[in-house]
Amino acid sequence: MRLDAAVDDLERWWSGTQVDSQGKYKIPDYQNGHAYLTSHRVCYVAAEEPRKFSVGIDLKEIDRAEYQKGKNDKSRSATASPAVSQQTSLLSVHPSSPRPQSVGPQQSSSPKPVNATWICPICSFSNPVPSNFDPATATAATHLPPCLACGIKPPFTTVLKAAISAATSRDPPLPNTATLPTENDNTHKNGSLSGPSGLAGSVSCPRCTFVNHPSLMECEICGAPLKVGGPSIQGDDTSRVDSPAPFFAQSRITNSEVTDSIKLSFREGGEKTFHERLKGALIQRKWLLQNAPPVPPPSQAGALPSGPAIAEPQPATPRATAVGIAGLEQRGLETRMNNQLVIGNAFEDLEALMASAKQIVALAETLARESGMTTNGGASAETNAVLSESAAALGMVTTKDMLSSGSENLYLSELSRDLAEYLTDDRKGVLQREGGIMSLIDLWAVFNRSRNGVELISPSDFQRAAELWEKLKLPVRLRRFKSGLLVVQRYDWSDEKTVRQLQEWMEELRCVPPDEAVPWDWTAFGRAVTAQEAAQRFKWSVGVAAEELEMAEDRGILCREEGIEGLRFWSNYLVA
Amino acid sequence: MVSTTAATAATTSFVFPSTYNFPPFFTPQPNSTTRHSQLQKWSSLIQSWCRHHRTYRLSLVDAVDSPLFHNTALRKRLALAEARAVVDWMTKKEEEGGGGQRAEWIEAGGNTAPKIVAWIWWRRPEEWADVLVDWVDATGQKGVVLTVFELLQGEATVSQEFHGMDNDVMMKSLNVLVKRGKASVFGNEGEEGVKFF
Repeated sequence: MRLDAAVDDLERWWSGTQVDSQGKYKIPDYQNGHAYLTSHRVCYVAAEEPRKFSVGIDLKEIDRAEYQKGKNDKSRSATASPAVSQQTSLLSVHPSSPRPQSVGPQQSSSPKPVNATWICPICSFSNPVPSNFDPATATAATHLPPCLACGIKPPFTTVLKAAISAATSRDPPLPNTATLPTENDNTHKNGSLSGPSGLAGSVSCPRCTFVNHPSLMECEICGAPLKVGGPSIQGDDTSRVDSPAPFFAQSRITNSEVTDSIKLSFREGGEKTFHERLKGALIQRKWLLQNAPPVPPPSQAGALPSGPAIAEPQPATPRATAVGIAGLEQRGLETRMNNQLVIGNAFEDLEALMASAKQIVALAETLARESGMTTNGGASAETNAVLSESAAALGMVTTKDMLSSGSENLYLSELSRDLAEYLTDDRKGVLQREGGIMSLIDLWAVFNRSRNGVELISPSDFQRAAELWEKLKLPVRLRRFKSGLLVVQRYDWSDEKTVRQLQEWMEELRCVPPDEAVPWDWTAFGRAVTAQEAAQRFKWSVGVAAEELEMAEDRGILCREEGIEGLRFWSNYLVA
Repeated sequence: MVSTTAATAATTSFVFPSTYNFPPFFTPQPNSTTRHSQLQKWSSLIQSWCRHHRTYRLSLVDAVDSPLFHNTALRKRLALAEARAVVDWMTKKEEEGGGGQRAEWIEAGGNTAPKIVAWIWWRRPEEWADVLVDWVDATGQKGVVLTVFELLQGEATVSQEFHGMDNDVMMKSLNVLVKRGKASVFGNEGEEGVKFF
C-alpha cells in the first residue's frame, strides 16, 4: 500500500520531556520529504539526498497513532497551504532498529499483556496466558497449553477473555496524559516506586492486592507476577538502550534518552488520509502474517517463545530432539512446513491480483464476443479501432493497481525515478550498451521484460514518466527527434557531441581507401555511410542512427544520396 | 523548328566540375542551405555546359540522357522532374530565391507541353546586346545597316561569340537595343536588317 501524503517535516518527541511542546525539536535534514505507508512500516524519504536521510519504523513497533490538527502554525515553507500543518503522533515504543535485533526478547516487550492470567474453570488455578497468545489473531484452532495444576485444556474463550481484559486494563493509562506507553514501567524501574499502591518500599499485588515485599517477583499469595523489575521489563529496557534509533545519532541532541513518539508534519496536505490509512494498517496488522508462528504442531507445545518462527528456527525450542531416521524425517517435515508458510505468504498478494485478473479476463471475453457479433455482419475498420482502444484501456487497468487516481502523480514520479535508476545502473549498463542513446520503445520493452511480466507499465504511463525526467532533474533525458521518434539519452548528451563523432568518422573514411574501386575521388569525398553502418559503429539502434544522421544533415554537416542501395550519407561537400 | 542544340561541335571536351563526381549531387537535398548550394552548382554547370556547346535552347527530354544530367561513371542521373526543378529555379529572380533568371521556359512554338524546353541564358539578351554594341563600336559600324544574317553568319563576325547564334536569341538581343534606342530593326521576317546608332 502506498500513500501520496507528502510530508515535509519529520519531527520527534523526546520522552524526557512531556508533551507540552517544550521539548519539541526538529531534526535537521528531515524537514522535507515524502511519507510512505506500507503494510509493514512507515517510512520517511527525504526529497534531497534520500539515501542519507531516510528512516523507517515498523508498524509493529507503533503503539497508536494520533492526529493533531495544526495547533502550532509553523508555516515556514512558502507553500500557501492554509495552516494545515498537522501532526500525526505515532506513539511508538521502538523506532525501527536493525532487523536482526528486533527478534526474541524485545518482541515480548511489545504491547502484549505480560501479566495476563486465566482462571481454570475446573480447579480455579490462575494460569499465565502464553506469551505468544495474541487475542487479535488467535482462533479456536490455536494450540492452548493445559492448566498447570489439573492438566485440563481450557476452553478457548476463557483464555481469550483473560487476554483481552488484561490488554484493556493495561491500556487506559496510555492516552494523552503525560504518561507515555511504557511510562509506568519506567518509573517503577527507576526505583521511586510511587506506583499505584503509594506505599513506599512495597508493592501491592495487582490481582489480590496483597502488599508484597519490593524484592519479590511474584505475589506471595496468588503467584501473580509483580510489576517491579519484571524480567521482561528489564530486558525491554536494556534492549532499548542498546538499539537506539538509527536517526537518533544524526540529530544534535545527545543520545541518552528513549524516543517515545515520532511526529510527522504535513505541509501539503494528505495528513488525514495518511492517518486513516495508518490506523487501518495498524488494525490490519499485516506484519503478523510474516512473523506469525506457524500453527504449532502438537510437539511444539506452548512453551514456544513468541517471535518469528521462521527466522528463529527449531534449535531454540526446548523440544526433545529426535534421532536417527525419525529425526531426519521430522526435520524434513519441518522444512516442508516452513516452505509452505513462505509460499503461502508470497501468494497472498498474488491472489488479490488473480481476483482482478479474473474480472479483466471476463471483460476481455465480453469484448471478444461483442466483436464476434459484429464481424458476423462484416467487420469494419471502425469496430476494430474501438476494440483496440478498449484493449489499450485494459492495459491501463492492470497497471494502475492499488492506486487511487489522486496518487497518479506520485506513481509517475516514482516510476520516473525508477527508470532513471535502471538506466544509469552501471551494472546493467543499459544505456551504455546502446551507445548512450536508445529509443523509448526499446527501453519500454527492455524495462518491462526486466520486471518479469509483473507490474507491467502501460506505454502512456511510461511516456509520461519519461517526460518527468527533466522536471525531476534526473540524469537522463527524453528527446524527440524531428520525425517524432522519442529517445532516451544521458542529460549531458548533446547534438554537438554526435556531430563531432560523425565528423571524425567522415574524416577517417577519407584516409582509408574503400574496399572496392570507386568512380569518385575518395580522397576528396570519402565514402557514403548508411544508418546501419552508423548504428554498428556507435552501437546505436538503427532507428536512432537514422535520426542522428538526419540531425547532422539538418545542420548541414552531411548530405544525402538516394540510390538503389538505399539512403546513404556523405560529408557535405555541396556547400562550398 | 530549329534544332535544340546548336550544331557547333565541341572542339575540346567539356571539363566537369568536381561536384559532378560527388554522388549526392544527383539527389535533391532536403536541407534548404544545402539545397540552395546544390542548385547554384547545377545552374553554373548547365550554363558552362551550354556555353561550351553553344547551346541556347535546352530540351530537357534530350538532355537527361546527355552527359550533362547523366554521369555514366557514377551511374547517376538527374531525373527529368529534378532537372525541371533545377531549371525552374534558374528562371526565378535572385530576389525570389532563384538563380537570377539564367533560364526561361519556352512555352510557345512547337512545344505544346510546358516546361520541356528552356532558354539557357549563359548570357542574358541584355548582356548579348552589350556585346553587340561593343563590337559595333570597336569596328566603327555605327549608322551602318547590317542584315541579321550577316551578323550571325557573316565572315566579319566569325571571331565573335555571337557568330552562329540562335536566330531567336539574336532577335531578342536586338530588341533590347531597340528599346534602349541604340538600334532599329526593319524588314520582313527572315530578312531583317538592323541599323546601330
